[in-house]
Amino acid sequence: MTEPDLPAAVIQLMKGVVYRDTHERAWNHLLHLQPQVRDYVEVLGLQVVIDEGEGYAFLRQRPADEDDDQQLPRLIPRRSLSFHVSLLLALLRKKLAEFDAQGGDTRLMLTRAQIAEMLRVFLPATSNEARLLDQIDAHINKAAEFGFLRQAKNGDQVYEVRRILKAFVDGQWLADFDAKLAGYASLLAGEGDDEE
Amino acid sequence: MSYPAPTMFPMAGGTTFDEIGWLRANSPAWRLLRADSAPLVLSFLYRVFVEENIRSIAATQLASRLDDELYALNERIPRSFPKPAKAYLDDWASPESGWLRKYYPEGSDEPHFDATPAVEKALQWVRALGERDFVGTESRLNTIFDLLRQIVFGTETDPQARIDELRRQRQQIDDEIARVEAGDLSMLDSSGVRDRYQQFSATARELLADFREVEENFRKLDRQLREKIAGWHGGKGELLDDVLGSRESIAGSDQGRSFQGFYDFLLSQARQEELSELIARVHQLAEVSDRDPRLRQIHYDWLEAAERTQATVRQLSEQLRRFLDDQVWFENRRVIDLLRDIEARALRLRDERPVALTMDIDASAPEIRLPMERPLYAPKRKPRIDSSGIRPAGEDDETDPTVLFEQVYVDPGPLRGAVRAALRRAPQVGLADLIAAMPLSHGVAELVTYLSLRDDAFTIVYDDARTEQVSWTDPDGRGRTATLPRVTFTRATGSTP
Repeated sequence: MTEPDLPAAVIQLMKGVVYRDTHERAWNHLLHLQPQVRDYVEVLGLQVVIDEGEGYAFLRQRPADEDDDQQLPRLIPRRSLSFHVSLLLALLRKKLAEFDAQGGDTRLMLTRAQIAEMLRVFLPATSNEARLLDQIDAHINKAAEFGFLRQAKNGDQVYEVRRILKAFVDGQWLADFDAKLAGYASLLAGEGDDEE
Repeated sequence: MSYPAPTMFPMAGGTTFDEIGWLRANSPAWRLLRADSAPLVLSFLYRVFVEENIRSIAATQLASRLDDELYALNERIPRSFPKPAKAYLDDWASPESGWLRKYYPEGSDEPHFDATPAVEKALQWVRALGERDFVGTESRLNTIFDLLRQIVFGTETDPQARIDELRRQRQQIDDEIARVEAGDLSMLDSSGVRDRYQQFSATARELLADFREVEENFRKLDRQLREKIAGWHGGKGELLDDVLGSRESIAGSDQGRSFQGFYDFLLSQARQEELSELIARVHQLAEVSDRDPRLRQIHYDWLEAAERTQATVRQLSEQLRRFLDDQVWFENRRVIDLLRDIEARALRLRDERPVALTMDIDASAPEIRLPMERPLYAPKRKPRIDSSGIRPAGEDDETDPTVLFEQVYVDPGPLRGAVRAALRRAPQVGLADLIAAMPLSHGVAELVTYLSLRDDAFTIVYDDARTEQVSWTDPDGRGRTATLPRVTFTRATGSTP
């Protein structure tokens, strides 16, 4: 390998997640230059998260210090997810946790049918099968847009659940989701009381 | 009739009514033997997974081979196997059958297949049905004596007893040396040879077949460990003590220790050479009628199978270590608890529509728009092909087509061998030196083949700054010289040819 190359590492990080298996060169450079990369992105108000065990690295907004008056503008956009897409991500995270508990392989592959089965329980019952599947497809595509699902290239309608999901749909995110659900449920219950 | 599941899984085959009944209903190997498609399954899987000793094959490859097989069978009796190859493979890999294992290896989007130990068991049973023309007994009795001696004297703590035994053995050897010196060589007669060879071939094949089961046992151990870890409610420290210290851990189990012992024994250079030589010499004996050519290579097959199993153990241990990692462990537990709550709440909201709840999630990188990076449209140039002037060859054509049939084909195999041999003596060798030592016999075609050699053991380095000249004599006697950039073959890093 040639000398560690800061531009290669940082540019790849700016474009998205750096995976050990798909961006081998940038990954190696990144590992060698961790302190330099950290300093570099700190200027932009970002921090780099590297998980060597899982083999991915990405940029995250640096949490603002409380005593720092000037708030740097956000560079990492926040995306809004509908209820069903959020639920899909949570269920995928559950599948990943169960899969890890069983051991053996590292790649979790699910067919479109399996994902639909998983999600269907939480969707309102409907007689229009086709429309339901279309909706589920739309949710799957949204998840794929974020990089959490990857369609296998042989076109078998099999998706790989990428392990980067663990970094974004983590305990904190799930706790927020749970809290929002509880809030929403109590809101509905409150309205129900009012109507009676 | 359904049989109660045994409380303890039958160790080496149950013998009570219930145990046998349960095995008959649930053992994949027995299911295979009972299946109507057993001849197809067994013969095909034997050919691919046992005869060629393949441990992992891509789905499309396996499907195309099965296709060929089905085509041949359907020719003989039409419509005997109507389903497409892929459907059969999925059937055989389903949990109801359990004859093939389907998985996604790292780095490939295509599923791969491997045979399960059930297939090996069924095959062994079927092959044992063939009648043996003679059943050897003397050789096995000898082996039994040896094994018993090993056990007894291996566990003997009294040094005097051991010394007595060793002295007895030495006396036997001295007597034998005296006999041989006197010219009395006791030869093994042909029945003795056949008897021993039969035991060798049976044991060797069994050993190879067992590797699949060894790997499966390792996977089972791993699964049990993970279940234990996932369901642990106590502290992390106690869990680690329990898991890593106990015989249940992968390396510490009986399976792990025995396998490690085997692997170390087999892997030593001296043993490998001894095995190769012994096997080669045994097969040269006239008394050994060689029905199975695979037995000549069996030690390579063992090594391959053992390496594969070792790779699996490594992978399992690595993943287990990661799973036990502090953060991962705590995070997983928290995640599972939260998900239980989330699922319950989401179920209650099922019939609400729409659920006006949104969650935010961070993107994985800043959004960078590159509008100037879009290339301008360039219309594709279609090549114009004019096929109008072609006509069939006639008698009065001047060109002689026999030139097309006199191609020189150069086999890259010997050339690769020569490069590897040269690289054993030195870390790099120039092409000019190589050709000076081994002159070209096929002219410029051979020179070009040298330049296009591809191998894991060496790399080709071109130095454009310097040129060298290579000379040879053509097959028709003319001397020729070529000038080309200096070419050097170097040993690839991390390998020894």
